[in-house]
Amino acid sequence: MEYLAIVFSPWALLTIFIGAFAGVAIGGMPGLTATMAVGLLVPFTYTMDPAMGLMLLGGIYAGAMYGGSIPAILLNTPGTPAAVATAIEGYPMSRAGRAPLALKTSVIASFAGGTFSVFILLLFAPFLARQALAFGPAETFLLALMGLAGIISIADEKSSLLKALIAGVLGMIIAIIGTDDMSGSLRYTMGLVELYDGIDFMPALIGLFSMIQMLELAGQKSHQIDTSALKKKQKGEKLPRGIGKYMGLGAGTGTLIGILPGEGATIAAFISYNLSKRISKTKELFGKGNPEGIAAAEAGNNGCVGGSLVPTITLGIPGNSVAAALMGAFIIHGMIPGPDLFTEYADRTYPFIISLFVANGVFLAVGLFFAPYLARIALVPPAIMVPVVAAFAVLGSYALNNSVFDIYLMIAFALGGLVLKKLGYSLEALILGLILGPIAEGGFSQGMIIGKGSPWIFFDSNIAKVMWVIILALLVPPLYSYWKHVHKAGKAAG
Amino acid sequence: MQKKWADRALLAVFILMAVLLYRSTADYPGIAQSTSAKYVRFLAVFIAVLCLAQLGFGLVRDHGRDILVLTGNRRRFLALLLGLGLFAIAFEPLGFYLSGAIFIPAIGWILGYRRPLVLGLTTAGVLGFVYAVFVQLLSVRLPGIEIF
Amino acid sequence: MFKASIFTSVALALGLASAPAALAGEYPDQPVTIIVPSKAGGSTDRTARLFTELAEKNYEGFEFVIQNVPGSGGQKGFEAIARADADGYTIGLNFTPQLVAHIVSGRAQYTLDSFHVMGNVAQDPGIVVVPADSPIKNMADLAAASGLTVAVNGIGSDDFLAAKQFESIAGVTFNLLPTKGSTEQKAAILGGHVDAAFMNLSQMIKQHKAGDARIIAMLTEERDANLPDMPTALEQGYDVQMRATRGFVAPAGIPDEIQSQLDSMLAEIMASDEFKANAAKGNIFLLPMSGPDYLAYLTDLQAQTQAVYDQAPW
Repeated sequence: MEYLAIVFSPWALLTIFIGAFAGVAIGGMPGLTATMAVGLLVPFTYTMDPAMGLMLLGGIYAGAMYGGSIPAILLNTPGTPAAVATAIEGYPMSRAGRAPLALKTSVIASFAGGTFSVFILLLFAPFLARQALAFGPAETFLLALMGLAGIISIADEKSSLLKALIAGVLGMIIAIIGTDDMSGSLRYTMGLVELYDGIDFMPALIGLFSMIQMLELAGQKSHQIDTSALKKKQKGEKLPRGIGKYMGLGAGTGTLIGILPGEGATIAAFISYNLSKRISKTKELFGKGNPEGIAAAEAGNNGCVGGSLVPTITLGIPGNSVAAALMGAFIIHGMIPGPDLFTEYADRTYPFIISLFVANGVFLAVGLFFAPYLARIALVPPAIMVPVVAAFAVLGSYALNNSVFDIYLMIAFALGGLVLKKLGYSLEALILGLILGPIAEGGFSQGMIIGKGSPWIFFDSNIAKVMWVIILALLVPPLYSYWKHVHKAGKAAG
Repeated sequence: MQKKWADRALLAVFILMAVLLYRSTADYPGIAQSTSAKYVRFLAVFIAVLCLAQLGFGLVRDHGRDILVLTGNRRRFLALLLGLGLFAIAFEPLGFYLSGAIFIPAIGWILGYRRPLVLGLTTAGVLGFVYAVFVQLLSVRLPGIEIF
Repeated sequence: MFKASIFTSVALALGLASAPAALAGEYPDQPVTIIVPSKAGGSTDRTARLFTELAEKNYEGFEFVIQNVPGSGGQKGFEAIARADADGYTIGLNFTPQLVAHIVSGRAQYTLDSFHVMGNVAQDPGIVVVPADSPIKNMADLAAASGLTVAVNGIGSDDFLAAKQFESIAGVTFNLLPTKGSTEQKAAILGGHVDAAFMNLSQMIKQHKAGDARIIAMLTEERDANLPDMPTALEQGYDVQMRATRGFVAPAGIPDEIQSQLDSMLAEIMASDEFKANAAKGNIFLLPMSGPDYLAYLTDLQAQTQAVYDQAPW
């Protein structure tokens, strides 16, 4: 009870509000991520009251995860990689004048996923963290495969499955560049120090989505966007029925995956998206603007917020890079993750967890309130939109590592990506391969070492067996329908 | 160039890349041979097979005569690209604020926007916002603040 | 603080063209930038902030700005310090053994001569840790078992060097598992996916005390005050010593009077009780060393690392 009192004091509430609001703004800007914001603000909290500092960072984390969906829906420029799946459904909805509904779905799903995951964090953290330890490198490899199975779901209704796969593998190959973690030797870095750590996925994400979108806008024949649809349908579209099922699916999947090691949010969003497509009764609408996909993906990535903190605060094993930065903030204040956090420092840890509920509530309110105004962003004339977004794209690419090299990288990704896109290759698959490639490689290489060179390690544990079943369940139906499709087309042609 | 030929050329490049990638794994030192090298070889073989399949399908099925069009308006497209390049080059010597203050209105003007006041206000708004978020909130150091 | 960062950006952007003019005035007439070659919130970053907190409080006229330059195992940051103008307005932190490992592996553009070594602040002793239910109780067990999978934090790290030392002394060959960061090592030990790991004390001390993992040896010359019951590897008959150190360096060539001002400031702060108390609270283990001592340590470490590298380059 006293913990509630701490959270609901005016100063704490204000702190959480600022954190969540700033988080939404940061997540909404191309190139600014929660990792960066939390990382940069950790030292700032050094001089703050510990509980307040953690609440601020927690608010940013929760807000930024949601914020990434706003530009994804409105401009097809996902602010974080976890929002790429959202863009696949959200942007077509915007184009059809249904941005308000897409935004509403996204904020409610984010809230549902976020809140659910924080409940789990509050109630079952120590227990779940123990279970998650059974998850080793071999299982991490399988989790990456599960995420990569999303490539097939991106493609299966179009006939370009092969091209989506090529793009995905190309992404994984690009991700090879950098230091080989197994031997410490450098691979394909061409002597550039900037490439020793590999290619950061943020410049790639910005180039492939934000910048290409701007290049295409700039290159439009006419600069008149048909806005009549937007004006006509501005009001009153209610959430479709039965969408709660997809939010529940996403929330559960996201929380579970968040608890596991690896960059959870992107994987969680894609797996939730993929699963929702499997169970949906309106599969044919996926890729053309289906709110069900947004619901699952957003609940999924926000589910990672609470999930990723489970192993972070109980064991000191951060579930992703934002959680790792947050852990730095805990340590700065002498709160070393472990059992102490729930006994000696309970008066800081519990208020922090409870504050995450409030942060979720804040972005829900902010999102619902601003959604109609935000939707109007799509009305901004391209001649204004393009230079502004381009400037942010340049800035975002630079600010991540203070590196001009990353700006050139971003431009190169935009140009190369544009050619690929025009030839029918899926850029979503490319970025998925780029992000999950290193996770897959790490899991594979470490698994091979632990298994002393035998690939059986990838089939050994019960978790691994279950994961294979899920992977097959994700792969077989779309491959079968693709095969039928090709077969039919072949007959028709022959 | 016709789309199908561009696609074929691209696939050929990918296949060449896959071959080179495969061959390069022979040089991986020590433990990497039984770990990373296997992973990289798998990727190389996989993409080569996929590209060959796509190439084959394309040769059999694709008789389209579509031309590869990257943009509907070459002048504006190139202007934006050039602008981006200059922005990147100027980023460190001139700093973000000065380059941004030139880049945003210039691109807006080239794209056909003709209301200087709106352009100016937008530019100022963006730069002010960036200053507030990056410099004040996040304490990110951007090059070239001294101009302002 | 905000003002400070603006000033420093100015200085950085101008490439410190105004440096001679600045020297003419009273030092310091602008904030001093401290380059931290790792992410904000990490142990090196926190070491730097422990220093700046007291330095700004106790030394009038001094303002510090911390600039995090993470990446490539600290190499980007080390290079930035080495390249910085030697005018006393940029200093930085280093950490070992990465500082010398980059030189040894031939990747660094700097050498030890590129720096003026100001002194060491903190350390993190090496440890050997096993899962809580492991049959391995001590270093003799570790040497006796065969085919153990042992996690180290990346190739060329302190863990890696220590594991290599142990391999050659005990005549065993580990199935070495390089991880990305100590987090993966921790997860592998707590989850029982590996048989042992070479790590640092601060990363596992809580888990050891909570009974989630078991430290079996300290890799220091004497027992550590934080864990006085834990025997060293040396006591157990294996002369394996490794520690990570984190100290201050400056680009070589700073005018003597400015440099000595900075050096003595560092020494005085490290000697203060307040600094010691803050460090204990922040889980940072201190190991004050003067500039010449630390330089000797670094030179020595470079020779040792070179020996390991010559046997098994990475």
